[in-house]
Amino acid sequence: MIRINNVTKRFGGLTAVDSVSFEVSGGEALALLGSNGAGKSTLIKCMLGLLDYTGEITVNGINARERSKEAKSIIGYLPQEPVFYDMKTKDIIRFFARIRGAEKGSEERLLDGVGLAGHADKYASELSGGMRQRLSFAVALLSEPEVLLLDEPTSNLDARARVDFLKLVKEYKDRGKTVVFSSHRLDEVDYLADRVVLMREGRLVFEDGPAALKKSLGLKLRANILVDEGSVSVAASVLSEAGIVVHGRNGRGLVVDVLAEDRMRPVRELIMREIRVMDFTVEEPPMEKILEGAGTDGA
Amino acid sequence: MELKNILLITGKDMRESIKNRWFVLYTASFSVLAILILTAASGGGQISGFSGYGRTAASLINLVLLFVPLIALVTGAISISGERENGTLQYLLSQPVTKSEVFIGKFIGVLIPIWFSISLGFGLAGIGVALKGGAGGITDYVLTALMSGLLAASLLSVGFVVSVFSGKASKAIGIAVFLWLLFIILGDLGIMGTAAVMDLGIKQVFVLAVLNPAEVFKIASVLLLSPRYEILGPVGVYAVRTFGSGGIVLLLVSILSLWTIVPLALAHLTFSVFRREEL
Repeated sequence: MIRINNVTKRFGGLTAVDSVSFEVSGGEALALLGSNGAGKSTLIKCMLGLLDYTGEITVNGINARERSKEAKSIIGYLPQEPVFYDMKTKDIIRFFARIRGAEKGSEERLLDGVGLAGHADKYASELSGGMRQRLSFAVALLSEPEVLLLDEPTSNLDARARVDFLKLVKEYKDRGKTVVFSSHRLDEVDYLADRVVLMREGRLVFEDGPAALKKSLGLKLRANILVDEGSVSVAASVLSEAGIVVHGRNGRGLVVDVLAEDRMRPVRELIMREIRVMDFTVEEPPMEKILEGAGTDGA
Repeated sequence: MELKNILLITGKDMRESIKNRWFVLYTASFSVLAILILTAASGGGQISGFSGYGRTAASLINLVLLFVPLIALVTGAISISGERENGTLQYLLSQPVTKSEVFIGKFIGVLIPIWFSISLGFGLAGIGVALKGGAGGITDYVLTALMSGLLAASLLSVGFVVSVFSGKASKAIGIAVFLWLLFIILGDLGIMGTAAVMDLGIKQVFVLAVLNPAEVFKIASVLLLSPRYEILGPVGVYAVRTFGSGGIVLLLVSILSLWTIVPLALAHLTFSVFRREEL
């Protein structure tokens, strides 16, 4: 569906995207992962023909530079920070619906789908960041595009809105559409992506599934395990014997490091020794920390 | 290029212009001043050979020269730079539209409201003349209004050139106001000063005058309204004697049209062809 072939984008002396090549199949969800300045947004803008570049990008066989309008007609785009004309929400979506040649009535249906039906008469300036993001998503879905390009789509959303939004994207993907999204968050990648392209300083440093990425990074997560009050010392010993490093205790809780691909191991060890686990939570380290070593050792 | 997209963008820009408080203020001021000028022009007898519609049109020329270039240059200058600055241009271009469609749609979308303002001012003053029983010179009056529309189109084109090359709306407005000062305030003084310092002949002064679209409008409008071309001074006499009374008007209208076409083509090429990306 999308073919990126040796794409390079320079801004003066800065190479924002450096000889990047990969393909995205129809119906696939691909995550562009990387820290700020990795080149993710620049690459997405190249796909839309908003930026000039060397190399070749095709969307469904259409050259994104030479036949930009045609390519954009099958792409729905959600920018990182959507900005709209200061018109009413219903007028904004109606304007873009006509531009995109969407079928009549789709505006109302999509506004309803993203939870903005009750805000149709509000001006764009009266919408919160999250609402603007949802409006932009509704615009992106007009005319049922084959491809969705989402540039850090959840960056302005609170936790609840983020979950709702990811569900909407997942539903769209499950209908056989292609989704390319950039993200800072591994949980989003886990939830949505079939494949991950990891970028660092403009270069593609990794391309595989989310599980393979975590494995290759040797990613360790911090787990908090809550056990019965009388079992804390025994549980700590059991975990230590199993080679799991216990970082500390907090009341009935134990803090341990686990590998991303085997996060349930401490729970399994405790259950096998008949120690009751009351609660279990996992925290991911910050993305910047995860990506520090990425690509330096062939990962 | 799709006409549908051009019309959609035109409609959007027209709605934005009409909602803009500065535009509303400009339209109201122009209309009120046009009516005041009508009232002032109705007193007394014939002045400089003008009467009825012709006299009102002659009085409106200075108002047009002051207002129309300012609004055309400024609205043109912020049309693209403003959208570029606030990010809506990039969002619009991420949709299935071409840059040419955006450019043409925006130009028409800004030009029509300016034409509406001019028409309103001339229309209200025209109704006033009719109510006072003025009869003669209605054709000249309409021609002056059309020349004002052409002046607006030419300076809007210049404004679009400024807009295409400017990354920020504030910078574009600054350049537009400077050009307005240059064309309107410093225009006559510049020509007189240059002629005096460089000891220019009448032909060179004429050439210098037609390099300024506001001067072109002024000369053409006066020639349209009155056969007494000597009121334009030696340059007017030279122009009419060289090109003939019909020929000079045709020449001036052509120059003003070129002032519309050439900057517009330059702005369009820069925006749509040479400037391949919008950051």
